[in-house]
Amino acid sequence: MVASGARPGWSRRAQYGLFFGFVATVAAIVIGLFMLVLSLAAPQSYAAVRGVALDVTAPATNALNEVATTATGLVSGAGDYWNAAGQNAELKAQRAALLRRMVEAKAILLENQELKRALALRERDRRTVATGRVVGSSFTSPRRFAILSVGKRDGVAVGMPVRAADGLIGRVIDAGQLASRVLLVSDRANIVPARLVRGGLPVIATGRGDGSIDVRPLEVGRNPFRKNDIIVTSGTGGLYPPLWPIARIVRLDDDGAIAVPLADPGQVSFALVEPPFEPTAIAEAARPEEPR
Amino acid sequence: MGRSALTPSRGASLTRGPRPAALAIPAISVLAATLLSVLPVISKHGWWPDAGLLMLLGWRLLRADAWPAWVAAPLGLFHDVMTAAPIGLSVALWPAFMLALDVIDRRTMWRDYWVEWMLAAVFIGLFVVAQWQVAAWDGAAVRFASVAPSILVGIVCFPIAAFVVARLDRWRMGR
Repeated sequence: MVASGARPGWSRRAQYGLFFGFVATVAAIVIGLFMLVLSLAAPQSYAAVRGVALDVTAPATNALNEVATTATGLVSGAGDYWNAAGQNAELKAQRAALLRRMVEAKAILLENQELKRALALRERDRRTVATGRVVGSSFTSPRRFAILSVGKRDGVAVGMPVRAADGLIGRVIDAGQLASRVLLVSDRANIVPARLVRGGLPVIATGRGDGSIDVRPLEVGRNPFRKNDIIVTSGTGGLYPPLWPIARIVRLDDDGAIAVPLADPGQVSFALVEPPFEPTAIAEAARPEEPR
Repeated sequence: MGRSALTPSRGASLTRGPRPAALAIPAISVLAATLLSVLPVISKHGWWPDAGLLMLLGWRLLRADAWPAWVAAPLGLFHDVMTAAPIGLSVALWPAFMLALDVIDRRTMWRDYWVEWMLAAVFIGLFVVAQWQVAAWDGAAVRFASVAPSILVGIVCFPIAAFVVARLDRWRMGR
């Protein structure tokens, strides 16, 4: 192996070539640092580039995801035939139990509607913007992003909340025409105002970057959590609509708890993109503070 | 014998030479490895090895003349855009790694498999730590313990990248 650089010989041309190569490399490093500062200070300046990158890779990611889904489907499909009779009996018992719970829930829903009417509470009609699949993720970085197979063409815009049937997934941070990138609830930078279902105590859910969520109560005091508690969105802040399930508590620590998201992005089959809960509230919060 | 010796045939050592575009193959293989990020992998931790970085280090450790050092900057830009890293992170770090390896090339007396693996381990570690620090500046300050395993995974996976690079190098040179 020849060590590069040391002495290129007497050739002036080779010496200059080496020198300008060095200058170009240092210039590249400086440009890179500048771009890095820009992407930390003003991330939206790269929105177009990120959108195009998403669009270019979307067809490949979608196709590969189809293949992977089919392959895992074959394996788990074959597994379902194993012990089918036992599973059948178990599922029948579960179904009967769920039917009973559903009747109860319907009664509660009816009562709830009547109460809301009595209070004249008005809620805007909420429609799902788009339905897509989670087709990929950032698997080499400490950030937790997922790729969703719907984009601007389907009406998705940056800032929209995303959920699955099981619970909250995250919010859209980059949108291309064909695909979009979602900041998962388990990312450290995703802070969700939430509530404990048991008691309705307001809490804050922050991702931990490893697929779990850190939950802290807003008021300092006794640790209010118990294992298997469910937390739901509170609707505070205006981005996430209230009462979307987020996570289940699995472990307590000193003044909070660790929870795992109810919707595992690797398992959910469909993700629903919804409009922000109170767009006006978000616009208000995003506006830079004016001196009074 | 006669003229038959001049007709090119498979395996004739006289007519064998570098493939067309042999000079571009190292850079292309790094781009291809970076493109592995489109794989439909949905990871909870983000501990998968960074294939683009491993290929870059593999090529640079095998050959000092795989590319001029500045080429690492456009490769890094492609990497940042494709893997959703903060744009500029690899643009700054990858050429810096190339310069650092130029310096190391002058200083080291000898090189073998273990020294190369150790050097690769150092740069993989540096990259993950930088990525972690930049994520912290970006509002995602996770504990270091939750990214440390990805350094180990990268180090363990480096020999695979080095093997692929060595085979590609032999193929591009027509050997």
